Amino acid sequence: MPQAWRLIWNLARKDWLLFFADRRAALLCFTVPIILASLFGLIFDRPSDSMAGTMRLKLLVVDEDKTDTTRRMIHDLNSGRAEVQVVDRATAESLMESRHYGVTLVLPHGFTSREAFSRPRVEMLYHPLSAMESQWAEGIVTEIVMKFKAREFLEPLGVEVSRIDKPLVVERHAAAFAGQQRFNSYSHSFSGMTLQYLLFWGMESGLLLLRERQSGVWRRLRSAPVPLWALLAGRAFATGTIALLQVLTTFSFGYVAFGVTITGSWLGFLLLAFAISVLASATGLLVAAIGGTEARARSVCILAILAVSMLGGLWLPTFLLPNWVQELSLSLPTTWAMRGLDGLTWQGQSLGVVWPCVLAVAGFAMLFLVLAVSRFAWSEARRKRGWAT
Amino acid sequence: MLPSVALSLNEITIRYGEVIAVDHLSLNVERGEIFGLLGPNGSGKSSMLAAAAGVLTPIEGTVSVDGICRRQKPAEFASRIGLVPQELALYEELSAIENLRFFGRLYGMGRRELRSRVQFVLEHVGLLERANDLVGKLSGGMKQRINLAVALLHGPSVLLLDEPTVALDTVSRDTLFATLYRLRDEGHSIILTTHLLDEAEQWCDRIGILQRGSLVAVGKPSELTRSTLPDALMYGHLRSHLPITTIQAVQEQMPPEVELEITGRRVRLSAPTSELLGSALAILLGQGVEFVSFRTPPAGLEHLFRGESVPAVSNLRS
Repeated sequence: MPQAWRLIWNLARKDWLLFFADRRAALLCFTVPIILASLFGLIFDRPSDSMAGTMRLKLLVVDEDKTDTTRRMIHDLNSGRAEVQVVDRATAESLMESRHYGVTLVLPHGFTSREAFSRPRVEMLYHPLSAMESQWAEGIVTEIVMKFKAREFLEPLGVEVSRIDKPLVVERHAAAFAGQQRFNSYSHSFSGMTLQYLLFWGMESGLLLLRERQSGVWRRLRSAPVPLWALLAGRAFATGTIALLQVLTTFSFGYVAFGVTITGSWLGFLLLAFAISVLASATGLLVAAIGGTEARARSVCILAILAVSMLGGLWLPTFLLPNWVQELSLSLPTTWAMRGLDGLTWQGQSLGVVWPCVLAVAGFAMLFLVLAVSRFAWSEARRKRGWAT
Repeated sequence: MLPSVALSLNEITIRYGEVIAVDHLSLNVERGEIFGLLGPNGSGKSSMLAAAAGVLTPIEGTVSVDGICRRQKPAEFASRIGLVPQELALYEELSAIENLRFFGRLYGMGRRELRSRVQFVLEHVGLLERANDLVGKLSGGMKQRINLAVALLHGPSVLLLDEPTVALDTVSRDTLFATLYRLRDEGHSIILTTHLLDEAEQWCDRIGILQRGSLVAVGKPSELTRSTLPDALMYGHLRSHLPITTIQAVQEQMPPEVELEITGRRVRLSAPTSELLGSALAILLGQGVEFVSFRTPPAGLEHLFRGESVPAVSNLRS
């Protein structure tokens, strides 16, 4: 074995020994992302085909008109896509204030009179946090009122109204492309939580190095015939291999327990797993290089990791975020890593499609490595000259 | 044939920003001697030791071991130095033998050589039977001996120990120095820093006194103590820590001319005359203070240490 490689191997072996010295902590390192991913997957799991058929909007109705027509309309609403409760206005306001209901439809006095029904007007009250539900309710109410108006005009002409009650039949199917599975919330959560935890592992490794640099061990290492680059390479190698092991363990569990599969390119997945492991170790070195004190570094890192996790779509898909945030998130390695993992797990993408993601993650990892090593070299040179760093 | 001078510092200067920690300092340490570097906190002891170990680079001057200059052959220089930092420089989560194997491999030792050297150093520090214990579970004295064993592993010519007896009890300190004596007799040169005068006088072959980055005196303890007039001085080691009420009671009774310092279980008494010193000791004993040991060295070094005088025998290039 060449001397340089033997040095790196020895330094990395020491870090592996230290990692596994506390067996419970090491076990937690592998189980925490699995638990988090399982919980996220469970919470966001929605069987896509049955969703439209089962979900009904909870709707309050205040019937101030109290006619046969309004009663029939309420009946039709209740047997369709809404779950209706008829109340008076005061009760409706009280129920919305307590957030038991989000939307109230008010059918006003004279709503069904001939003059008013030519251009009917209803009132829609909604809680400020239920704006989306109010739009859904508007669609349902419009459909019902249209049906009643059609009856009013067409029944006297002898037209069979039931034939135009539902003018078209919509058949819903989740689109499936070649090699692509249906969306699997577990695939997304296992990708997201693995990535997030790798960043935390990188941070932990960096903090360990930071602590080591402030101890007598570092002085002993620096007085030994070991160059700085070998110390850093040993640490990066140990962190990266443990990160890779975490990726493989987490996805293996996901496959066995929840059917998380690599439907795309296996080579692409392995390359991306390697790239994100390097990213984790580079993050660790960067933390150790610019961290200052351990307490300060920990606080800043937790904030940064949570921010890039959220913005990068590790918790929820990025399309839920505002446009400007989506554009901003393209400057984060987590966004590219997540796109790649989503593409390779449930979207069935080939290496030809995901290579920009792999390249972007590797690019960020290299950038972090260069920054960390430069900063280390600079601060060690200062330290050797007697400047406290 | 190795040169008789093991470590040579030649006109080294170390700066921390604008502060000069070591100022044009020169020193030769002979093969097979224990050299004590003495000085108050901030006098430049640790900086000088760091420069000798290659951890700090002096802005001026050269450092060499066995005639090998650090700037010219850094790897060869490093393999002839064994550093024992002031703090524990070990991984507490690993066993003693795992620590030794790790550090040994950094010096390029092969499996067979490593096995025999690990056995040798563990025997040397008397901890062979604790080889597989986690360092974190060893006592303070044992940790310090493993700390020393790691520095000895690659067979360095020069051992550098930064305040090795801090936080050690009397028994551990005596065990440590017994090991250091054995090493000296085997031809290792040992340089240690301390701020404890009695320790330096008792254990070191030669002493160098540092003040504000300069060596103000170098010589054998007996040479240095002859150089100034002694006053009455006593060092003692208490059986246990004193309660604050006892300390207050002693201080109230103590004559104003007597200086009393109690640091942990160490006591230092100094007085203008030996009669006054005797009565001060009687006050302590009268309060029920129990000593494990006490001694009264000549006070010459004390003056030097405190920077009160510079002796005529100072020999900066010995």
